[in-house]
Order: sequence, then structure tokens, then C-alpha cells
Amino acid sequence: MTESNYDEIMQLLCDRLSSLTNSDTQITPEMNMISQLSIDSIKLLNLIMEIEDTFDVSIPINALTDIQTVRELADLVHKIKSAS
Amino acid sequence: MSSTITKLNAPLTQAFDFQPSSELQLTPTPTLNTLTQQLAGFDTLTSALEYAAEGITGYNFYDAKGNLRSVLPYSALRQNARIFARRLFGFGLPRGSRVAVIADTSQEFIELFFACRYAGLVPFAMPIPVNLGSHVIYVQQLRGMLESSQASIALANIDYINFLEEAAKETTCIQWVGTPEKLSELPAINIELQPNYPDETAYLQFTSGSTRTPRGVVITERALMCNLQGIVCNGLEIKPDDRSASWLPFYHDMGLVGLVLAPMVTQISVDYLATRDFAIRPLQWLRLISRNRCTVAFSQPFGLKLCTLRVRESDLKELDLSCWRAAGIGAEMIRPETLRNFAEKFASAGFDESAFLPCYGLAESTLAVTFSKIGKGCRSIQVDSKTLIDKRMAVRLQADGRKQNEFVNCGRPLPGHTVKIVDEDDQQLSEMMVGSVLVHGDSVMKGYYNNPEETSKALKSDNWLDTGDIGFLFEGDLFITGRRTDVIIVNGRNIRAQDIEELAEQQPEVRSREASAFGVNDEDGTTTIVLVIECRLTSVTERQSLTTRLQQFVYMAFGVNCVVELVPPHTLPRTSSGKLSRFAARQGYIQRTNLAGQLSFVESGDR
Repeated sequence: MTESNYDEIMQLLCDRLSSLTNSDTQITPEMNMISQLSIDSIKLLNLIMEIEDTFDVSIPINALTDIQTVRELADLVHKIKSAS
Repeated sequence: MSSTITKLNAPLTQAFDFQPSSELQLTPTPTLNTLTQQLAGFDTLTSALEYAAEGITGYNFYDAKGNLRSVLPYSALRQNARIFARRLFGFGLPRGSRVAVIADTSQEFIELFFACRYAGLVPFAMPIPVNLGSHVIYVQQLRGMLESSQASIALANIDYINFLEEAAKETTCIQWVGTPEKLSELPAINIELQPNYPDETAYLQFTSGSTRTPRGVVITERALMCNLQGIVCNGLEIKPDDRSASWLPFYHDMGLVGLVLAPMVTQISVDYLATRDFAIRPLQWLRLISRNRCTVAFSQPFGLKLCTLRVRESDLKELDLSCWRAAGIGAEMIRPETLRNFAEKFASAGFDESAFLPCYGLAESTLAVTFSKIGKGCRSIQVDSKTLIDKRMAVRLQADGRKQNEFVNCGRPLPGHTVKIVDEDDQQLSEMMVGSVLVHGDSVMKGYYNNPEETSKALKSDNWLDTGDIGFLFEGDLFITGRRTDVIIVNGRNIRAQDIEELAEQQPEVRSREASAFGVNDEDGTTTIVLVIECRLTSVTERQSLTTRLQQFVYMAFGVNCVVELVPPHTLPRTSSGKLSRFAARQGYIQRTNLAGQLSFVESGDR
């Protein structure tokens, strides 16, 4: 897995989060998805579906319990993608 | 890379280790059995399984892509459960000791559940974590359940064992924590398995995500068998060619009793999809129903809403839902629009709206209390809003143009059960009068395990169960008009207001009895949680920090966003005994924020 793949993941996350939250604010990797982006469970499911479909991975539900920021989620997706 | 990710290493590689080696060519258990169908009427769970094991039907587990991943005929379940039971005997536990199992949608969970019954132990299902960033709170919730149940053994599969080990660390009763694989390495004791008795506790069902006061409903074999009999004979009229499909979590009463145990006591096959996989792609559930010609499938209204929202028009032509004769709806307030929208969307895929089967129930009455008439669809009545608010009375709409409310008919109580409606002074009300819904019958729980205080709040004299719901009776049928203010339902999840207030009170800035939580609804029925805090902080930064932290905690514990309002001390209304009144707090909030049409008739106050 290369650096460009990581950037691709981060880019997708930022794009999707930006449209899910309907906000004009720039999404940054350090943003907290819970307190700053108000990602509720429905939005989260939408996001996971899009990640899974785009990168052909499966995100295990137990892994999300340690995720709060955009970067942490990107790291997780990258890690799963690299392992597959 | 952060340390959180590194910590996840072990479970992740395990979880992704499996190759798509579907050369195994699994075949699902058939719909038609070789065994004569017996509709419940067993005295215990294990005697029901002994009978079902003589046939060829059973449970089937599908993955997110709709591929069959494992098959567990009742015969294999019996065999595997008995082996696990003999291994459990090695711990030398007294009969009735509690065993905690984290209940993902898996073959192992069902095997362990029955293993406990064969070994005379009392199993209970614990939830899986579903929320972003919920690690710490989830572990606290597990610990709360382990402590409250005084569990001796705790089991989880490889994906969740780390959480469980963490939770068990500071508990006093746990003797052993492990995975099913680890249990399989222990010796099986060669001992005659003893039969169970109707008066013994069959299992506990936890109903709250509280970390301080979890409530484990005690259900006896008798209560369970009684409720199952009512569900399969009177509610569903199960027949030999029935087959179920379910995505409901096994740690929820509707998932466990309704879609694991009820099929087993009628020896019919079930196709399972994990809750997570349904939530992400609801189409997979409908595909299972269509492909395997399933006839019985339940959902909360929220699940139907997800299907209506997320299934694309182009997916409809591959579905044939004409086989679906019992679309059970329960577990939260049913809005007729939700059902209408679903029926409209899926009519072209063969869905027949007369399949809708609204019902009412709660874990404290095992599962079901009332069922509407099978095959009749969703029936509702329209009542005059003004009379409902002013006189707490349901009057059928006489003239057009008046403001009206529509309520769904949830049907009649199961045989041997009685529903009555009472006012604040526990006086029974006549038909059409709105009040608290009370239930009596053999399905009613013994109480909450080890929790006399909560038990005495729920069980009134003569063992009448106060459901906490509000409604009225009309021609013997039950109509639910609302929940009392102590339960908030968001996205299909029941959240106790007390649990949210408890989280708030754990913050150093919040004193006890200075937090009040409740739900407000917008016009399309979406519920928002509001948390009002009496706050002494003056600095803007400190106030913002508290607000953000509270929102984060509520999210991590319950997966929902909430509005936090900080108010000056002594703003929240109290009762004469000094207790906070959520009802009054909610009215106050609504007035402060000028929410139109929200002053509501459905709540009667706090239990």
C-alpha cells in the first residue's frame, strides 16, 4: 500500500463527510467526528457503506469504538486495505 | 499511526483472516421438515430443543454480501450445546449461576445459550459495541451487567474478547473469561445432564445501557414457554411451511425470543443477517426473504424506514416479497405513515400490506403482550386531538377539518393475559380513556435481578406490571399513544432518560439532580434528545467545554446527538419531594424555545 492510497482514502473521507454534514467548513484530519461533525449513527452507516463499496473492504464494528477523528478512521481503513 | 490502531491488531487480523473459500458449498436448512410440527407446548427450552433436534430444520447465517456462511441444524445445535454444557460443568458452579455472553449474530452464541440451559446455568446476552469512540463507555456498560448479575463466567468471540477482559478485570464474581474456542479446550465432564424445571430462571434480559443501575429482567422457563406459545399459536399461527428471516440483534428481546427461540419451539428454519450488515445494506434482508421464500420477518418501524429510504428503485425488480405473510412490527411506537410508505414502495415487489402485523410488548413481559389479527394488516383510528389533550379521552373524529391524531391498533392480549388502563391513582379507566398500560399474566417477569428498588417500581400489587407506556383500549384492542417521559426512542433505540442524566452527573461540573433529559419531536416524527443542565459556570470556554463533553459522552454511549441547554440553578422544576420532573422540564424547554405544537398529551409524568 502506497502513500497515494492513503491520500485517496483521506480525500474520500473528507469529501463524503463534507456532504454528509452539509457544512461549508473545511474538513480536516484532526476533526472529531462526534463533537465537531455531529456524525450520528445513520450518517455513520452511510459513510461506512461508501467506504466499503469504494475500497472493497469490510469495516469491523468493534474497530470503530476507538475512532473519533477523521485521521483515525482513515488510518483504520488504510490498515484494513493493506491487510487484505 | 496511533496506539489505538496498534491495539486493534490482534482482532483485526483474525477477523480478516478468512479467505473467500466458499468451496465448502453450504446448503441452508430446508423449509419443510421431516418431523411433525409441534407448536410450542414444551415445558422447558431444552425439552423443546430435544424435539426440534429430531428434524432437519435449523439456523442459517449469511454475510454482508448475502453468502451463506454457516448452517446450524437443530440437531447439531443440540449436540454442540451438550458438549459445551459438559465443559461448563468443569467449573463446578451451583445451578442457576449466571453466564454472560456477548451476543453477536453467530452460531456460537446460540450454542452457548443452550449449553447454559443444559448445564442448569442462567445465560444472558450482552450487546456488541456499535458507536464511534464508545470503547470506554462500552466497557463500563459490560462491567455494570457483570456486577449486577454477579456472573461467574463471561464469554465473547475473538472480536469482542478484549472488551470483555477489560470489563471483567475489576469485577468480584467472575471466575473465568474466554472465547468459545478457549472453552472448547477444557475437558468435557462425563456427567448425566439434568432436566430443567418450569420454575427455574431461563435467562436474564438486560434492558438498559446504564452503567450504574443496569436492569436484568428475570424470565423463568414457565414465563418463556407461556409467551412463546401465545406468539406462535395465537399471534403468528405458525404452519409447517413457514420460514423466518431476521436481522434483529440477539441481545434484544424481539431478536432472541421472537426470532431465535420462537422458530425453535416450532421447528422452523431461520435465515440470519447481522444487524450491522442490515443497517448498512437493508436490501440484503429483503433479498433473503425473497430468495428463501421467508414468510415471517419482524422489524422495528425504524428498520422499515431504513428499507424505504435506502433500497433503490432499480433493486425492486429482483425482489419477490409475495411470500411474506407476517411482517411483525413492534418494539417502538408505530406510526401509520411509516408502514404506508413501506407498503407503497414495495408493492411492486409483491409486498402485500395485509401482512403487516402490529404488536406490542416489552422484555418485562418476556416479549409479547398483544398481537393484532394476523392477515388483517395495519388498522388504525383517528381521534380528535383537542379532546385527547383536554379530557385525556380518545374520541373518534366526527367532522373533517379538526386536528386529529392517528393511532395504530396493536390488537388483543395473548390468552391468559390481561391489559388494563389506569390513572395516576391506579384507578382502572374505562374504554377510550387514556392512561398507564398495565399487564397481568404468566409471561410477566419475576423482577429485575438483584434490584428490588427497580422491581418495586415496575411490579405493582398482585403482580401487575406497569409497562411505562400510555394508551387506551377500544373494543378490547390496545392503542399506544406514547411513552412516559422516562424513555426516549431515537432511531429505533429505547434510551432511558435516567441513563443520560447519570452520564451527565458523572461530570465534575454537574451536581446530582441537576440534569434532566427528555425527547422532543419535530413534525415528521424525528426525536431529538435534549439535556438541560443547571450550571454555575460563567466562563464561556468552560461552558462550551462542558456542552461539547456532554454531547460526546451521550454519543459514545447511545450513538445519538443531543441538544445541551445550560440554565441557571433552580430553573428545573421539582416535585414537592424535591425530585426533578422531566415532564415539567420538557414543558419548560418547549416554552423557552418556542417549539410549536409540542405541548403534549402523551406523557403522564415520571414513574
